[in-house]
Amino acid sequence: MEAIKNALDFSDFPRLDLSLAGAVFAFLLLFPALPHSSFAMATMIQFLMFSLYGMGWNTIGGYAGQVDLGKAQYNGIGAYTTAVMMVRWDVPFWVSMPVGMALAVGWSFLIGYPLFRLKGHYFSIATIATSLVLKDLFEVWDFVGAATGLQIPIRSKLPDFLYLQFRHDYYYYYILLALFVVGILYLNAFRHSRLGFQLRAIKDNEDVAKSLGIDAHWCKIKAYAVATAFVAVVGSFHACYNFNIEPEDVMSLDLSVLIAMMALLGGAGSLWGPIIGAAILVPLKSYMGDWLGAASGLEGLNLIIYGGIIMLIAAVQPRGVWGMVEAVRARRRGGYAAS
Amino acid sequence: MRKLAWLTAAALLAALLIPGLALAEDKEIKIGVIYPLTGGAAAEGRELRAGAELAQEIANSAMADIDMAMAKNAGIKALGGAKITLILKDHQGNPQLGADLAKKLIEDDKVVGILGCYHSSVTKTVAAVCERFGVPMINDSSTSPALTKAGFKWFWRTTPHDDQFTKDLFEFLKGLSEGKAKGVKAVPMADLKTLAAACEKTEWGTNVSATIKRYADEYKFDLASNLLYAAKSPDLSAEVQSLLAAKPGAMLFASYTSDAILMMKTLQSMKAAPKILWGQDAGFEAPEFVGTLGDASVGVLTRTVFTPQVAQVKKVSGQVNNLYKEKVGHDLSGASARAFTGLQAWVYVLEKAASTKPEDIQKACNSITIPGEELVVPWNGIKFATQGEDIGQNVLGMGMIGQYQKKGDKITLEIAYPFDLATTNLVYPFPGF
Repeated sequence: MEAIKNALDFSDFPRLDLSLAGAVFAFLLLFPALPHSSFAMATMIQFLMFSLYGMGWNTIGGYAGQVDLGKAQYNGIGAYTTAVMMVRWDVPFWVSMPVGMALAVGWSFLIGYPLFRLKGHYFSIATIATSLVLKDLFEVWDFVGAATGLQIPIRSKLPDFLYLQFRHDYYYYYILLALFVVGILYLNAFRHSRLGFQLRAIKDNEDVAKSLGIDAHWCKIKAYAVATAFVAVVGSFHACYNFNIEPEDVMSLDLSVLIAMMALLGGAGSLWGPIIGAAILVPLKSYMGDWLGAASGLEGLNLIIYGGIIMLIAAVQPRGVWGMVEAVRARRRGGYAAS
Repeated sequence: MRKLAWLTAAALLAALLIPGLALAEDKEIKIGVIYPLTGGAAAEGRELRAGAELAQEIANSAMADIDMAMAKNAGIKALGGAKITLILKDHQGNPQLGADLAKKLIEDDKVVGILGCYHSSVTKTVAAVCERFGVPMINDSSTSPALTKAGFKWFWRTTPHDDQFTKDLFEFLKGLSEGKAKGVKAVPMADLKTLAAACEKTEWGTNVSATIKRYADEYKFDLASNLLYAAKSPDLSAEVQSLLAAKPGAMLFASYTSDAILMMKTLQSMKAAPKILWGQDAGFEAPEFVGTLGDASVGVLTRTVFTPQVAQVKKVSGQVNNLYKEKVGHDLSGASARAFTGLQAWVYVLEKAASTKPEDIQKACNSITIPGEELVVPWNGIKFATQGEDIGQNVLGMGMIGQYQKKGDKITLEIAYPFDLATTNLVYPFPGF
């Protein structure tokens, strides 16, 4: 009950933020009804997927301050659980998705327990290593299709809500939008929760937090599991959306880095940060690739500009776009930006 | 002002009176082309793009000096001379992006069909999108056997796949031991019996690796080492050491461009001296391979579907190759020749279908036979299987094995297999680095 109250309690945000968030939500809700291209729809789906990845990453990377660069392994576990269950045993998405989430969370406990003995860069490097090792294992594991991956057979009758197979993307869009709203509400409850406060205390000063009786190790493991659950759900969705998965696609280091980068760029440790990060980087990547890519004969230029913008934001405000907003507000108030 | 009004009215009247003319000029057939134009396979992507664009140019204009049916007319004759327009997209080797681009091409750009995508992994997701939308896709350059085993109804592949290419290699090794290779006496089987393979570990390389293993067993070779490696790896010395430890007679590779070059440089630094060094196309026949390695590439064998030497046995190949060279600055490669053939297949299918409706194109694909003499590649033609295990696969395709040899100052890719098409004596054993 307390959690539901917390989930719906946005009273600590200024009215402007809430009005903007409401306008954005109305836009998201109406988007499929507005005139749009299918590429815009695909880009919006990517935006929602990366927002969810980022929200998950934010719990461990933002609130707890542990830079995790191995999230792709959990995306892979979610995607593979759904694909294997669908291909081999014809199990619907709505059953395989929670199973995938449970398996990923279980794996995160196994990985998290020893890994959180490490700190700082050592922890980040270890997360990369575990993710790459798991990817290598999947690449030679015949049961999951090894490097060839798995192809989900297209069902004879579409749309199929049980197996999440649709011809048109707006079905996928609304399912993701529902997950997106659940994600925001959960995170809002999370930041008001005991664990949320404990994690911020750990991030500010772990030794002081420990002296106050906080079990830092266990808190981090719990936050890591929450982050994992988010990523695994998107992984399951990805398998159905793409109809085909392989280790290089769902468990690559590129994906891990992109998840962290979007959250960091938007502003880690804030509720809106990962969404802002995804809203900037996803369309930028898609549309610049389209406008400055193959058709114009300038392929490669889009990647240079994309990299340049990331470097610029990182150099101007390491706390991301949300950090910039907070800095401006703090200046107006005549004080310092809240950390 | 009045004069302008009169002119406008006259122009409008003319447009109304001769609508047929205006329509014929505007008629275009859009084909979506998805290739890796950036990323690890950008070099191959450039080749593919240039190959497809040359085929488009020939299809859209009458060229009397090219002995090809599509060069005789400007545009698609059966569709009133409609011109082919290519809408190029870059998938960066990313299957998800490939699928998104396919949706964009189908729904936003309203393409008649799709051509691409080189990476088998991307072709898979794009083929799944085409299947859902009921839009035809012709694949020119992805060689994973799995693609034509999924039972897709809207997918056709012109290129032979890795199963056939790898079988060619073992036929070549067998022929070498039987004295069939041009200019080489029968090689004792003991010299070749031990094999070592290293394949990059994406979908494509893993499949090649499994096929090598299967054929090694079938042809009774001893595959002493069969390892997978990451194509993006910055160092391959551990892999090369493992290959050398097997003391193989023949070393076999499936690599993209940068890893093929790194593999060769590492072999060179470790003074590897196998009797045979063979690559499964891709990186081994990219123009950068010879450009970077120079003389170190002499004696290396690669499976391919095209070498400029094909012109010696096929007139039309020479004619198209000359045009390509004029335009791009170098000879057609396996990638560009296959992209050319892929778009050519599209043109012939559209001529046969005489329609741009997906169902008519599907029917045309399933019944078309393009004779071998029309093609730049040395195949017996194009005819897609409609039943059996490999639905949509071209059953008249054929692989070749080429060998880099030095002729004067130039390094050329000579045909070594099929033995009856060999353009020069085989250099055996591999001369070393």
